[in-house]
Amino acid sequence: MPSRLYKPTLIWLQGVTCNGNTHSFLNLPYLPQLLERFEVLYHPLLPCTQSLAETAHCKRGCDVLVFEGAFDPEMERAGTTLKQLVGHYAGEAGHVIAAGSCASFGGIFKASAPNRNSGLAFAGEQPDGPLRGRVGKVINLSGCPVHPEWLGYALMSIADGRPVAVDQLGRPTALYRHMAHDGCLRNEYFEWKVDVEQFGRKEGCLFYEHGCRGPLTHASCNRTLWNGVSSKMRVGTPCFGCTEPDFPRRNLFETKTNMSIPEEVPVGVSKRAYLTMTGIAKSFKIKRLEERLIDDD
Amino acid sequence: MMTKALIEHIEGEASLYFDTRGDKVTWAEIAFPHFRGMERMLEGRKATDALVLTPRVCGICGHAHLMATVRAIEAAYAEAGHPVELTRKAQSLRELTLVLEMIQNHFKWLYLVILPELEKLGVEGLAPAPLKGAFAAAQATKILALFAGQWPHSSYMIPGGVTCDPTHLERIQAAGLLDELIAFFEKETAGIDLDTLLTFASCREFNPLQSDLGRLEKGLIAAGMHKKGMAYDRFVVLGEHGFTVRARLKHTRPMKADASQVATEAAVCRDETSYARNVRYGKHFYEVGPLARAISADNALIKNMHRRYKDSVYTRVMARVYETALLLQRARKLLEHLELSEPSYIPPVPLERITAAGEGIVEAPRGPLIHRMRLERGIVADYSIITPTQWNLGSSVMSDPAPAQKAMVGAADIAEATFIFRSFDVCSVCTTH
Ligand code: SF4
Ligand code: SF4
Repeated sequence: MPSRLYKPTLIWLQGVTCNGNTHSFLNLPYLPQLLERFEVLYHPLLPCTQSLAETAHCKRGCDVLVFEGAFDPEMERAGTTLKQLVGHYAGEAGHVIAAGSCASFGGIFKASAPNRNSGLAFAGEQPDGPLRGRVGKVINLSGCPVHPEWLGYALMSIADGRPVAVDQLGRPTALYRHMAHDGCLRNEYFEWKVDVEQFGRKEGCLFYEHGCRGPLTHASCNRTLWNGVSSKMRVGTPCFGCTEPDFPRRNLFETKTNMSIPEEVPVGVSKRAYLTMTGIAKSFKIKRLEERLIDDD
Repeated sequence: MMTKALIEHIEGEASLYFDTRGDKVTWAEIAFPHFRGMERMLEGRKATDALVLTPRVCGICGHAHLMATVRAIEAAYAEAGHPVELTRKAQSLRELTLVLEMIQNHFKWLYLVILPELEKLGVEGLAPAPLKGAFAAAQATKILALFAGQWPHSSYMIPGGVTCDPTHLERIQAAGLLDELIAFFEKETAGIDLDTLLTFASCREFNPLQSDLGRLEKGLIAAGMHKKGMAYDRFVVLGEHGFTVRARLKHTRPMKADASQVATEAAVCRDETSYARNVRYGKHFYEVGPLARAISADNALIKNMHRRYKDSVYTRVMARVYETALLLQRARKLLEHLELSEPSYIPPVPLERITAAGEGIVEAPRGPLIHRMRLERGIVADYSIITPTQWNLGSSVMSDPAPAQKAMVGAADIAEATFIFRSFDVCSVCTTH
């Protein structure tokens, strides 16, 4: 483990973004401790030692580059193009973190300018973008926005000198091997194929009719809760699959079905087996799952 | 001579171009260089997809965009002859989470932007502690997330209500967290208990406060900010909520306001391409935001400040920080009176039946946010967004400056002018989208 006295230098740059990843990061419960472990040369909101103009001169490098937003080669920050900025800092850095789905895969801002914008190492699922082929060096923390604890995990691992294993899309396996479905409080309804009757109910699963991508999305939102307390499905909103390269899909509040069977089945499950299982599960009538859970009004 | 200053530590990036005589600022133009194409992205999509995409216009006020979208869709339903029914429960949950988003914004602005920047002007003894802002904001968003699932970027408001189904468990958890946040505000920010602060009727009452708010108040006076940064002394509030009143104000005199009078035009900046737009009510520029809201809500303290110091930086900054207190109280009331027995959601007719236009207006942290959309069988044919920062931070010609431009003219130097600019709570992502 490297000495605690040595602080890796960090620069946080923004491409085409809504700043949501910056604000998500500010929710990290151990933010002060994490900032203690780095020398923050530049960050768009947090205290730092350089100005954006100084950063844009590309005179020195940094150990860790965090990049938020889609990559548009022509876009300028303080008069320097992203192409130059990313070229310089990513070249110097030991680690590059793509914070959020835009930086990882292009996200919604690839959707707005598909021929121009991309992620750092991928455009959608395709290895494209200025750092393509650098899997391992580029850590993709997809999510719209990035979950603060995922960024905390990656940065703390770097500070501790621990390697971060990633999947084929450059996402840390420790965070993205799970499905968003994992830990969802509606799992029992999922198993017995009971869909939520309508929005605004805590009873029922959102997969069958309401568009939930939980079983198709690599993310640990229900294991590491958002803001420490919740997740979309806990409040009855479907998962929109924001960590996947195809985010944002269309008709996000609906499930595409074929003869009332979801067109896509959970990752890793054979469709045929799934259909058989569904038939059997549906034939059970479980009274407990048809009743309201809490009537405390 | 034209001097360029790059403004950072805002949401995104802005450029200011100054004409000066000696050091004194004689003219300023504002450019927002980045454009993202959010409106076009929505066309051809089902309107409910906008509930997921528009929060991504802005990482710090996405919830306001969500509410503007849902209100616009519901307005289209009404226009098409299928009015949407909302329970009181759904309404108060929506307002509660909006209020919490405003609270997090104001904490961040005070601690991460205003106190450090005021110190840079040479004001001593402010003791800025930026991470306090992050801490308090995270506490506010945690309460928000109990009902909305997450912050930033939740999509829990849908036409007909909200997707959540909270129980007394969440209400009690939320109340506990809110009490902690209020205790933080009382101890660190205000230096006095919330209820007492809310009885203040004159700025003199800030004098004895040994707190961040007390230091801010003294610091603003020390920097002469009670005499600087006046804009038009005309205000507008358009969103309808329990914490403010829709009105157009000349000084403090209220008049009726009607959003159909709102129109936009391209911003003017001779030295750089800017993607900003100017917003006017009728022919005129108006200032929007917490100061406007406090005056239209007839707040005694802010009106007292206004009587003494007009629409100066002092009044503008203090109104925003003070609004944090008003909103904390509002959040407490909303939680206490949350009617959990009602349904969260009443399903409206299928969206495919809706061919109509709709407008949704919300008071976002920085002022009125307007979403306008036209739907054809539930599909977005046209979408346009007018954001609060476009009202305040437009850039126009010398004979007719936008509010922030007018406020900057006459500043002693560029540093002071940029602080005046920041007093509007600058957000470049909202200004351009
Ligand atoms: S709501 Fe979504 S994540 Fe939860 S159990 Fe159903 S499919 Fe899985
Ligand atoms: S639940 Fe799904 S849409 Fe929501 S944050 Fe997680 S991966 Fe993204």
